[in-house]
Amino acid sequence: MTLLRTSGLRAGYGPVTVLHDLELEVNEGEIVVILGANGAGKTTTMRAISGTIPRQGTVELKGADITKLSPDNIVRQGVAQVPQGRGTFPELSVEDNLRAGAITRRDGTSKINADMERWYQQFPRLAERRGQRAGSLSGGEQQMLAIARALMSRPSLLLCDEPSLGLAPLITQELFAVIERLNKEEGLSVLLVEQNANLAMHMASRVYLLETGRIVAQGSAAELSADDSIRKAYLGF
Amino acid sequence: MELFLQRLFDGLSQGSVYSLIALGLVIIYRGTGHLNFAQGEMALFCTYVVYQCGEWGLPIGISLIIGMGVGFALGAVTEVTLIRPVAKKSQFAVFIVTLGLFQFLNWLDGAIWKDQPLPNSGVGSNQTSFPSLFPNKPTDFVNVFGAAIKLQSIGVFLLVLVLFGLLYLLFNYTKLGLAMNAVASNAESAKLVGIRTNMVLMVSWGLAAAIGALGGVVFAGINSNVNLGLMFTVFIYASAAATLGGFDSPGGAVLGGLIIGVIENMAAGYAEEWVGQELKVGVALVVILVVLLVKPSGLFGTAKVERV
Amino acid sequence: MKTAPFTIKSGGGASWAIRLVVAAALAGLALWIPTSASNGLIDSCITALTLMACAMALNLLLGYTGQISIGHSAFFGIGAYTTGVLVAKYGWSPFQTFAVAFVIAFVVGALVSLPALRIKGVYLALVTLALGLVFPQIIKWPKLEWLTGGARGLDKTGFRFTKDNPTYEIFGWNPWGTLRGENVKPFHYWIAMVIVIIVYLACRGVVKSRAGRSLVAIRDNETAAAVMGVNLAGTKALVFGLSAALCSLPGCLSAIRTGNVTPDSTNLTVAGSITFLIVMVVGGAGSLWGPIVGSVLYVFVTEITGDWSNTDSIPGILRPLFGWSNTPPGTGIFAVLLIVLMFVAPFGIVGMYRRLQARVVTVVPKPAGTGTIAAPAAAPVEA
Repeated sequence: MTLLRTSGLRAGYGPVTVLHDLELEVNEGEIVVILGANGAGKTTTMRAISGTIPRQGTVELKGADITKLSPDNIVRQGVAQVPQGRGTFPELSVEDNLRAGAITRRDGTSKINADMERWYQQFPRLAERRGQRAGSLSGGEQQMLAIARALMSRPSLLLCDEPSLGLAPLITQELFAVIERLNKEEGLSVLLVEQNANLAMHMASRVYLLETGRIVAQGSAAELSADDSIRKAYLGF
Repeated sequence: MELFLQRLFDGLSQGSVYSLIALGLVIIYRGTGHLNFAQGEMALFCTYVVYQCGEWGLPIGISLIIGMGVGFALGAVTEVTLIRPVAKKSQFAVFIVTLGLFQFLNWLDGAIWKDQPLPNSGVGSNQTSFPSLFPNKPTDFVNVFGAAIKLQSIGVFLLVLVLFGLLYLLFNYTKLGLAMNAVASNAESAKLVGIRTNMVLMVSWGLAAAIGALGGVVFAGINSNVNLGLMFTVFIYASAAATLGGFDSPGGAVLGGLIIGVIENMAAGYAEEWVGQELKVGVALVVILVVLLVKPSGLFGTAKVERV
Repeated sequence: MKTAPFTIKSGGGASWAIRLVVAAALAGLALWIPTSASNGLIDSCITALTLMACAMALNLLLGYTGQISIGHSAFFGIGAYTTGVLVAKYGWSPFQTFAVAFVIAFVVGALVSLPALRIKGVYLALVTLALGLVFPQIIKWPKLEWLTGGARGLDKTGFRFTKDNPTYEIFGWNPWGTLRGENVKPFHYWIAMVIVIIVYLACRGVVKSRAGRSLVAIRDNETAAAVMGVNLAGTKALVFGLSAALCSLPGCLSAIRTGNVTPDSTNLTVAGSITFLIVMVVGGAGSLWGPIVGSVLYVFVTEITGDWSNTDSIPGILRPLFGWSNTPPGTGIFAVLLIVLMFVAPFGIVGMYRRLQARVVTVVPKPAGTGTIAAPAAAPVEA
């Protein structure tokens, strides 16, 4: 079942158009990875889907058109984004960051607290630091916090913008392992954009290649690795 | 000893006014990063409104609620129509807009209510003095160690503490407070978490203006009149308070205001020959300068690292 | 991009012709006023010129280095009181006091610039605001009353001409009428005009020089400017000092013109600082002509609406708009204008004019390398 579909998506900044007629799809239970070099338009794609920049074309979530919705309403529809560079609330405590993630929920404090406990179990390092200011956490911990915060809103689709940016490979592996586990055990659908192909490809159900705002190739990780030219250009071997 | 206590409480009372205006400045600065130059004049406008309600015979309690309501509306409308569109251009443009608002509101007050101190029974006012929230006849005082402490001074001081308590609850135990903190911390991420940032900004300004209105009414009550120049010096004292406490710390604003009120009063009293009434305002200047040169983030503010 | 219908070469014949015509028209106006205009008009002109000088001085600081000052009234006050004290208490001739005021204001300005090195933006605005508030209070300080006359102020601070003073004629043209007694408006007018010209030339000199470009560099990005070798501390102190000193000159004039100084007159208080700022921004910050346009407009509007608190004075159509007001609407109008301009034309009237002008006329700049800014001298090559 199609969870997210974009068609004819155009977006940019002022007079500069970055995305040109983007067509992509995420099905339920998939981890879809968008690979692209610097300037390809990865973050712009994330912003266009989340609604934080103006866009033309169509974005559909579970068949419903969300193109005209404001960002806060898109969150309410079940899309949560982990922005590039973590985007935590640095002055707020870890706990308040998580609470902020749940701010759109209406199902009562006890359920929210239960969810928080759950993520504390998934990410024990966050539990240790629950009263600490988020800005004082390490890069990897902040990334975990950002993911946990996004999950607090119980999204059906998680958008991740370059989670590996600025993180050591070991930490990145740990993070991707968590995402994979959530996908397998809870059926969380994920759309992830990355420059770092190696780590991301392993868990991807499907991969898109983004180049200067256009999808130039798509397929499963195996298919793309098998294609020589793509492998040489993007995967470096 | 009695003189000391008297001066202390006068200082706390005066400082409470500074705290109230400073709270407004801090809430706006935290939420939006701007200094609202018109904070004092917005408070003044609401104070005139409260005076007008008194002229129409309303009791001070009701008048105050109306005044604070007007303040909230004024702040919210200002944010939406004047600040938000201009904030995209530059900090300087926002500063100029608040400066223009300062001028406009001050002119408007004079245009509507005349440019003399009110009430002025000679010009046919119904009230003999500006209504005070607390009993302030000459007989309303308590004896503390031989000093005559006005009930009004105690009342004003307690009012600030109560208000601060309420704000503390707001910021730490409510969803709105959390949203305001989140927007102040990282506006982009706040959007991604589903917070309606526009609404939060509007409410921040409204709240700040309403608190300012309270400050204006309290000050006019202490002064027994309202006049066009009432808030000029209060604004600079409040700015000194916010600077001292840290421009993004509400607790700092309250503490800063009280400290400055006390210092100012003590200096004017004990160093009468050298400071006296004339150079009191110099206290504010000195405080601002010293803080900005020694520890710019104030007592409780968070230091910002400027990225080149 | 649409090209404009007319083209002018910078420095070419047409450009000079236009400048000449404008200069001649302005000069003609300036010369005509003191001889033939009414006393009221001359008075307004002096007010405008005074404001002009202050706004230009402030512009040097704010428009070009981006440092906000709401305390320039203090420098105006330094000028006024220097003249006031020296003339009233020590019998100096008013002309001699200008230089003294200039120096004092320069030093104070340079001192104020020291904290300004570390304090920026709105915080600097607060410091200067406090300064502006403190100045009248210092004047009123009982310990200085022997010097300043306290809250009452000082009298007899202007020129006094007796019947025996010769009137100066230039080829039969008498620009200042009969010099008699204390109230010699045309004479004051010429002093004001000279002050404005001095301030204008000083500002122009600084702006168009190499120092001027350092200023703009500082305004746009201080750290980058410092890294590129601009002496921040020195330049800022110089500009602040100069801006303060230039602002003190119209202050001297005001002491001469009104014959007295008091600490509560508008231009010596924060209200005055705010007026200078508003006039400058409305006219156009960062441009040499902005303060000129702004001050003329301000005086014009204030004069016309001066007695509009009396409903009968308001022309019929505007009555519903302003009739209800208890005070003259001048300040209110300008406040609204200021806000509107930030939306529509942040660079003021002059900025707006330049944008329109760009649609009508394209100015072709001189080819590179032929400019008048001195190129660094080439090192002589030793053969």
